[in-house]
Amino acid sequence: MAVIRDMIAPFELYQPAGVDDAVRLMDQYGDEGWVLAGGLDTFDWFKDRIKRPAAVIDLAAVDEIRGIAEGGDGGLDIGAMTSLTAVAEHADVQSRYPLLAEAAGLVATPQIRNQGTLGGNIVQDTRCWYYRSGWPCYRAGGNICYASTRRAMNREHCIMGADRCVAVNPSDTAPALVALDAEMVVASSSGERTYAAADFFIGPDIDIERMTVLEPGDLLTRIVLPAPREGARWYFEKIRDRKSWDFSLVTVASMLQVQGGVIQDARVVVNSIAPYPVRMGAVEAAIRGREPSEETGQMAGEIAVEGARALRHNDYKIALTRNLVKRSIRDAA
Amino acid sequence: MLDAEIIQSRRGGFTRRKFIKGVIAAGATASAAGYLFRSSGVLAPMLSAQGAVERLVTLNVNGQQRRVDVPKHETLAMTLRYQLGLTGTKLGCDRAECGACTVLLDGVTHYGCSILTHTVRGREVTTIEGLEDDGVLHPVQQAVIDEGGFQCAFCAPGFVMSMVGMLDKNPAPTREEAAVLLSGNLCRCGDYDKILNTAMRAAELSRSRA
Amino acid sequence: MEFLRRALNPWGEDVPIGVSWDLIWAAVIIGAVFVVVHALMVPKKVATGEIDESEAKGLPEKLQRHTVGARGFHWSMSATMFALLITAFFPVIGIQFPWVTIHWIAGVLLILTVIYHIYHVFAKQDFWTMWIDRRDVEEGKLGLKAALGQSDAERPRAGKYPVDQKMFHHVAMIATLGAVVTGILMMFRIDNFLLPMNTYMFSDATWGWIYVIHGVCGIGLIFLVIAHVYFAIRPEKRWMTWSMINGWIDRDRYLENHDPARWTVDGSSQRAEAEGD
Repeated sequence: MAVIRDMIAPFELYQPAGVDDAVRLMDQYGDEGWVLAGGLDTFDWFKDRIKRPAAVIDLAAVDEIRGIAEGGDGGLDIGAMTSLTAVAEHADVQSRYPLLAEAAGLVATPQIRNQGTLGGNIVQDTRCWYYRSGWPCYRAGGNICYASTRRAMNREHCIMGADRCVAVNPSDTAPALVALDAEMVVASSSGERTYAAADFFIGPDIDIERMTVLEPGDLLTRIVLPAPREGARWYFEKIRDRKSWDFSLVTVASMLQVQGGVIQDARVVVNSIAPYPVRMGAVEAAIRGREPSEETGQMAGEIAVEGARALRHNDYKIALTRNLVKRSIRDAA
Repeated sequence: MLDAEIIQSRRGGFTRRKFIKGVIAAGATASAAGYLFRSSGVLAPMLSAQGAVERLVTLNVNGQQRRVDVPKHETLAMTLRYQLGLTGTKLGCDRAECGACTVLLDGVTHYGCSILTHTVRGREVTTIEGLEDDGVLHPVQQAVIDEGGFQCAFCAPGFVMSMVGMLDKNPAPTREEAAVLLSGNLCRCGDYDKILNTAMRAAELSRSRA
Repeated sequence: MEFLRRALNPWGEDVPIGVSWDLIWAAVIIGAVFVVVHALMVPKKVATGEIDESEAKGLPEKLQRHTVGARGFHWSMSATMFALLITAFFPVIGIQFPWVTIHWIAGVLLILTVIYHIYHVFAKQDFWTMWIDRRDVEEGKLGLKAALGQSDAERPRAGKYPVDQKMFHHVAMIATLGAVVTGILMMFRIDNFLLPMNTYMFSDATWGWIYVIHGVCGIGLIFLVIAHVYFAIRPEKRWMTWSMINGWIDRDRYLENHDPARWTVDGSSQRAEAEGD
């Protein structure tokens, strides 16, 4: 797919020791700066010479945002530079947020999980190959979506949330964090901001060139998980062509609050079907007060795909979404 | 330019500060200075900003301190192969897909093609050349010989390193667990069955030696 | 500053993809400078109050300048124009919201408005009232001299529309039609229920120029709107602005600023004919 052009183009490299220094450097370079975490999103861009920043700000030495700590109110506070392996294998994450442990453990390959960070997995750019081939599509500042033209190959593209651009958000941990009502802490030179995970991701209708609220100079520093809900049931399933390495075709993450056999509250989130993780608000409303049964799941699946529109090669995603949402309610445990 | 305060070791103990001063004392500033003068006038003052790195680094590779002049944009696999002559680490896809470049950083498997050499300063790098201990093969290496694990074996160094990382995590994996733990490596010959035989044999040898 | 945004298409051709957004600020700055310079250089014209009473004979107190249809067109156009400019440029300068659907629907409404206007002009109004003829050129020359303070120059009275209004109309017309025509073509590139998606109609370079023209016209309209609003709120022109709201002007303003021979309104028509214009 990608044209292998050359070695990485030269850049200035910084390895700041703290968030403050990192943010200062990011401000200094603005658009010309590039923040490097695990590098699994970064190096494809660099090797293809599609992105050629003047300066790379490597966060490897920013220890203050690496690691998992007890948060306030019984939650967990995860540094953005924490590796996916560390998230997936952390005892507290496994016992209190198994949804996140599962999601982090299904990312790519063992090596990538060792190296890739939770923050990087959340803010990673889309994998649309037209975009990543460096073509001047909307997302790259141009005026066309190559993936939605008549002859486009768009099997992996979106079935909802499109606005000119039909790329999808590829993150596995993003839907889990939305389902867990996590908060994203963002540092910049003007201070710290916090976003609900669901508000952290933005679609092409708002800004076609970004996947998240982050702008140049913004750094995702921490992911704050609220205290786990008592007796919550969860479900996570990632569908991909290969059982290893591959990005998801459809991923579902759900959290169900069940009392007396009845769903009191729910979070149902599906990713890789839209340019952002889709929180299925209509589904959540419809299943409240019902049993987490086959019938409820069936109904939820139908509601989930209302208004979905397939491109030429991805109508399978509609059926997949319908069935995964069904399972995420029926089989949540 | 050398704001020593900010150049700190990532892992305590070894301080970069001392090392850089040492290099300067040895009169080996030519490379860094050359870089400075090549860079634009705009960038030069920025070099004094917090955290700018120097090209001359010492890497801990297979237990040895190796001094090397590394461009800032060079990946670890490139440095290992073309600067340090450790060609056991292979470059297959160069895209973090095939696993041929797998090395250990502080005992944990990483894709050498997708990490900057400068990022691993202060960490223990282990390549396949560093497995053998005083003429004694590592259990994984022995297992490869015992089982005839590979066909063309271009992927072998990567698989071997993954197996070493795997045994550190799970000394007694089932065949299925081994498959999952080795899923970050590809074999284009499709020799996975023999590779898994090797992994199981390696686990056995490792346990018997311990 | 750049004028065009360019990119390499998949075939390695260097094609334009749109106008540089720097020009938005250029238009805003030029508009602001124009307003400030004009406000400082051109003094508010004091109404002379000298009315030829004989001309006033037989004229009602209020004379209609804009019909309901004309006013409807004007305000419909201005509403859609503001919607279009806001949805086009606010997201670019950082105020982000889902703009594409509002933009093209406003564009469709603008097109309907323009179609109505064209019909109205040809069927109901006199097309030639907006035409610039030799007397307008003369009026413009003398008007400019008077505005620049040349003592002996006095601006002659205009027809229904002063020449500066006519010029504004024509420039705005070109910019609007440019944006409308390119906008219709661009609707083939986005998802809407009116036109089928077809990105293959033109080459990448042709499409690029369509985007450039759309952008140039849009950015030109920023300047035109700034200038238009500025004149509408200038004190000596407010009677004209009011006429675009309530439709009429009073007799004194009419006689003071308009030549009854060149703009014949109800009640003055008989005399105009009698004088054999």
